[in-house]
Parts: sequence; C-alpha cells; structure tokens
Amino acid sequence: MSWFVLLGMAVIIFMSRYVFLEPKLPMVLGPHLQRLLTYSAPAVLSAIVAPLIFIEGEQLHIGFQNRYFVGAIIACLLIVVTRNTLLTVLVSMGLFFLVL
Amino acid sequence: MMHRVGSTIRISSSTGHYNALFRGALAVFPLALAVVPWGILAGSYAIEVGLTWYTAQAMSAFVFAGAAQLAALGLIASGIGAVGVLLTTILITSRHVLYSLSLRPTWHVLPMRWRITLGFLLTDELFAIVMSDKFKALKADPWFALGAGGFFYLSWNLATALGIVLGSSMPQLHTLGLDFAIVATFIALIVPSIKTPAVLVCVSVATYTAMLFALWQWQVGLLLSAVLGMLAGYMTECLYGGDTKEAL
Repeated sequence: MSWFVLLGMAVIIFMSRYVFLEPKLPMVLGPHLQRLLTYSAPAVLSAIVAPLIFIEGEQLHIGFQNRYFVGAIIACLLIVVTRNTLLTVLVSMGLFFLVL
Repeated sequence: MMHRVGSTIRISSSTGHYNALFRGALAVFPLALAVVPWGILAGSYAIEVGLTWYTAQAMSAFVFAGAAQLAALGLIASGIGAVGVLLTTILITSRHVLYSLSLRPTWHVLPMRWRITLGFLLTDELFAIVMSDKFKALKADPWFALGAGGFFYLSWNLATALGIVLGSSMPQLHTLGLDFAIVATFIALIVPSIKTPAVLVCVSVATYTAMLFALWQWQVGLLLSAVLGMLAGYMTECLYGGDTKEAL
C-alpha cells in the first residue's frame, strides 16, 4: 500500500468525522433533525453488524450452523440478562472462539 | 480553566479534568478490550496482504478506522487500485458524517484543538459512549470524550502491533473469525439502547435493509440502511407521539 493511499484514506476519514464540528459551516440543526439524529447510533451499528451475522460467503445463512448467528444470539441473551458490557463481550467472544 | 460547553459555562479544575479523563477511559474499557481481536486482525491481515510492519502500524495510527482499514486491505489483496480503495473508503466512512452532525450542537463550540482531536477520535465506539444515556451528564465534557477516545486509540494501536507480530509468524489468522469481536461489541451497545418502540423499529429496519443491500452487494448499503433505520425510528416516534417516555 502506497503512502498516497494511506494518507488519502486518513484525510477522507478525518474529514467525514470532523465536517459538522466546524462552526464556520453555516448550519443550524432544527429540532426535527436533532430528533432524527438520536437514532443514528443504533441505526449505524445495526447496519454494520447485520451482514456479519446473517451472511456467510455472500449468501444468507440463518441457522445454527452459522457460528456468527449463534454467537450473536448468545451476546443478545447475555446483555439482556446481565446488562454488563464487559461480561457480555468477554463471555460471548470466549464461547465463539473456543466452543462454536 | 473556563470554557463554553453548549449554552452553559462550565468551570472545572484540573482535578476535575483528570477525573473526567479517567471516567472516559473507564467507560470505554470494555470496548477497548473487545476491539483487541479486531485490531489483531487488522495488523495480521495487513502483513498477509504484503504491507511492511511500519505501514501496517501507520495505517492504524493515522487512519484509525477498523472497517475501512480491513476493506482497503481486502481490495489491495484482490489487486484493486488506489482509486477503488479511496472510493470504498468514502462509502464506508460516510456514516461518520452522521456522527459529527449529531455531535455538532455539543462540540462545535469547543476550541479548534479540541474539535480536531475529538473529530479524529470519533469512532463508532466513542460515538456510542458519548451518546449513551448512561453517560448523559458527561456528554458535554471534552475531557471525558478525550479519555474514552484516547484510551480506545491506544488499545487499537497496541492490538494492531500485536497482530503485526502474530501475523508475521502465523499466516491465515484472518480465517479464525476475529471479526466476531465487532458483532459482540456492537450487540452489547445496541441492545441496551432499545428502550422505546421507536428504537426497536429503527434497529429492525436498519438490520433488515443492511442485510438485503449486502446480499445485493450494494456498497452504498451501509449508509442507506442506517438512514432508513433512522427515518423509520423517527416516523414511529412521530406517529405514536411522545413515546420517548413510554418505555418498552
């Protein structure tokens, strides 16, 4: 990988994270937009993990032979029951790598 | 030291800064630990694809974005050129625009050095921490965000270094399924945030559409499904009015 590509990636990613933190950008967020944005975290995180959980080798794979799917169910159960982030990630990852 | 945060003037002593910094690091600790396998993957896969150890480390140090780094490495492995890598980076990173937009009301009043630092550190994980109800009282404190973001940055880079070392001695590390780390972490962040029917609708729509777009191999699917999920959640909230108070 060339330094050009690496720095290009760094600049693109920084810009996307910084752009609306710039106060010189003339823009005021209305109350509707602010309400809409309260959903950004659950929406983006779900959109990132969904393909990892349900798709295996470019095909839909929902079933107990799919270890990502089973691991995801275990993680859901753990966080609902324990409400403990650390315990959930450690136990579900432990089970995924050692058992599944 | 005195600085404006939001519409209020917040005065905090230097012990207050250290306290907030420490609380941020503590808040992100489970995520910083969970990101280790994912960082190992980024480091080892970079070596497998043929990057030198210092380019691999520089990638984590300057780019600091797991999903974009792994996608770029995958493209390089399949021989796709610089333009393809940069275009894919734009698609994958586009979601961060939503984060900076969401944090604009809170962070745009900060001095430039703070905005640049926190902007650079604004990962999915930092955003989830700053937006979570659990840390609502600390949301506007830049020292809290710096503690969380900085600790996560250290963890990501140390994990990458570990991956570089491991990847040099044992190839094919990426077939182990180290990316499950991201599944476990994000589920632990998403599920507790489902407190209203509107958030449940948002998560369901985003999940379903993201799955569909991924099957169709639409690169723009990540951003599109996130926006659809947000709109679905917001519409549910409007239809059933004030359901922010009506807990599930």
